[in-house]
Amino acid sequence: MRKLVLKPKGFSKIPIEAEVISPDIIGGKTLPEVKALSVQYGNKVHSLSEFFDVGGRIAKTPDEQDIVVDGDASHVKYIGKGMTTGRIVVQGDAGMHTGSQMKGGSITVTGNIADWTGAEMKGGLLRVLGDAGNLLGAAYRGSSDGMTGGCIVVNGSVGSEVASFMRRGMIVVLGDTGPFTGVHMNGGEIFVFGKVGRRAGAQAKGNGGFIACFGGIDELLPTYRYDTTFTPTFMRLYLRQLAGNLGIDVATSYIDKPMRRYRGDLAVGGNAEILVAEKA
Amino acid sequence: MEHVDVVCPFCGCLCDDLEITVEEGHITGIKNACAVSRSKFLNHGSHRITSAAVDGKKASMKKAVKEAVEILSNARRPLIYGLSSTECGAISKAVEIGEVTGGIVDNTASVCHGPTILALQQVGESKATLGEARNRADMVVFWGSNPTAAHLRHIVRYSVMPKGMYSTEGRKGRKVIVVDVRQTGTTRLADKFVKIKPNSDFELLQALRATVRGDELPVDEVSGVPMKEIKELAEEMKNCKFGIVFFGLGLTQSEGRHMNIDAAVGLVSELNRHTKFVLTPMRGHYNVAGANTVATWQTGYPYAIDFSKGYPRYNPGEFTAVDLLASGEVDAAMIIASDPAATFPADAARHLAKIPTITLEQKTTPTTMLSKVVLPVATAGVEAEGTAYRMDGVPLRLSKLVEPPKGIHSDEKVLDMILEGLKEVAQ
Repeated sequence: MRKLVLKPKGFSKIPIEAEVISPDIIGGKTLPEVKALSVQYGNKVHSLSEFFDVGGRIAKTPDEQDIVVDGDASHVKYIGKGMTTGRIVVQGDAGMHTGSQMKGGSITVTGNIADWTGAEMKGGLLRVLGDAGNLLGAAYRGSSDGMTGGCIVVNGSVGSEVASFMRRGMIVVLGDTGPFTGVHMNGGEIFVFGKVGRRAGAQAKGNGGFIACFGGIDELLPTYRYDTTFTPTFMRLYLRQLAGNLGIDVATSYIDKPMRRYRGDLAVGGNAEILVAEKA
Repeated sequence: MEHVDVVCPFCGCLCDDLEITVEEGHITGIKNACAVSRSKFLNHGSHRITSAAVDGKKASMKKAVKEAVEILSNARRPLIYGLSSTECGAISKAVEIGEVTGGIVDNTASVCHGPTILALQQVGESKATLGEARNRADMVVFWGSNPTAAHLRHIVRYSVMPKGMYSTEGRKGRKVIVVDVRQTGTTRLADKFVKIKPNSDFELLQALRATVRGDELPVDEVSGVPMKEIKELAEEMKNCKFGIVFFGLGLTQSEGRHMNIDAAVGLVSELNRHTKFVLTPMRGHYNVAGANTVATWQTGYPYAIDFSKGYPRYNPGEFTAVDLLASGEVDAAMIIASDPAATFPADAARHLAKIPTITLEQKTTPTTMLSKVVLPVATAGVEAEGTAYRMDGVPLRLSKLVEPPKGIHSDEKVLDMILEGLKEVAQ
């Protein structure tokens, strides 16, 4: 891997739209070409080097490209949008739409992240060490296809409408989630190790999708019906994978925990599952 | 001179049966109007801004327009906001200014029925005109709305009292249900008042929908309403001939927001398996529906439209006025027919005072007081004609009854002057 370092030249209240910060676009270019890449600042187009100090090495192909954004990028939107390969690390906070519609590769954000992170994600791995905003892995307005693949892991807490219209893929939250987690969910898996917010699984049709709540749930919708308490075999496999492949050690402590299963959302005749781990 | 069938430019009802007497260029008499409408027509001339102003000092219209052009052409992230209390021609010009400046165009829907639009884009809608409600409805549900305070003639003209083609009995032939968190004027007119816990509309809508589907829910009560009552309500709704839900900000601005409307649309679509049921938002400002309609036909999107890349993009929460102002993102603003300084959260209003703001307004408001440039305009529907859209999406023609004060032009004309100036600068 070849490492390119982008150091933000300070914070700006007007956000910068920089979907060019992607291995797919940077890989194979020369350093002057990268410096001249266009970013949107308000209603004008500027070059990348006006907002970032650009240094390091550029790989011949995108899959060999490693991009480090070294500093606060909370005003930078669309980092890694639609990327298919390579790696991005943001050493600090990142702005809206980071990793939206990404198809492959990996993004790690060491700080917090704003709304619409990983929106309509199709593949790849997105890790956030801090908290995430609203609409993590959600469908854009008017779309009925949210996340269709890939994996998002958030170490902190997340806002409302996580994984709206989720079809496939996986979201793991180690902290709490806001209201409407998995709203309109139609497949996919959500694991929450903190507390799950109000109205989880609203309007969810199911299609094999589930929300696993290991840290309890404040309040279930009246349109979810208790079904059974069991220790699902598939959950053991998932939890081992979470601990082994993604380094989520806390998962191991739930491997043999029985779970209460609720089915709904009855309002839409759905068959989605909310699985709540029994308290120790 | 007598004017008949005048359309009232106050609330989303757009009552079109007003009779107005004009003598020597002044409105002296008004019939059929509600108290608010009467006051608007009779007092439209008092406390007017008579001259344009720049930095609080009187200026010629030409100079003020030039200053506005300079502010907008130098801005990196200009916001154009308001638009719901003016006619469609002005709205169309404002959208064009948004495009020319690469700015953001937002209207007041973003702080009232924006969530309704989000939900309708997500799940569709089953709607009817107010005329259909008047002629056919035998069940009227007011959910989180109180027309006795906000839409004064709605009950008399459209929804509860009038006798229509197939609703020949008037009030007697209609069942009126009110769902709200407290007693209001409308609950006193209702056959049934369903009192719910605040911020729990979503749960009740979902429970009703599941019950209409025939599911037995495993709970005794939802949102403070016993399950027995929910079952009765579901049966009543299924057995009416033509039902209509009028919902207001009690639903769109309480916890759940667009998801509340999503659930309400779901309930109505479920009821359509059994009978005819529709829903209509109780739009507040008289032409907020027009602001959404005009923006949609010009850009494809109803509000929260960003032109910074030269083409329209839409994302409520990112390109909505309150969010943009509160985060300090915009560096200039143009406010048309709205008073955000009085109604926005403090952080957002404060930012408006920090940046150069241009305001088109008839009377002195908190927003004009903090504006760098104030441009006086004629009152649409009284001193200028144009088109407005009723809450159900029906366009109606506003009349010009009297001349505006000397030297004062319509919103559309003033915006056109700014637009021409901007085009010259661009060349």
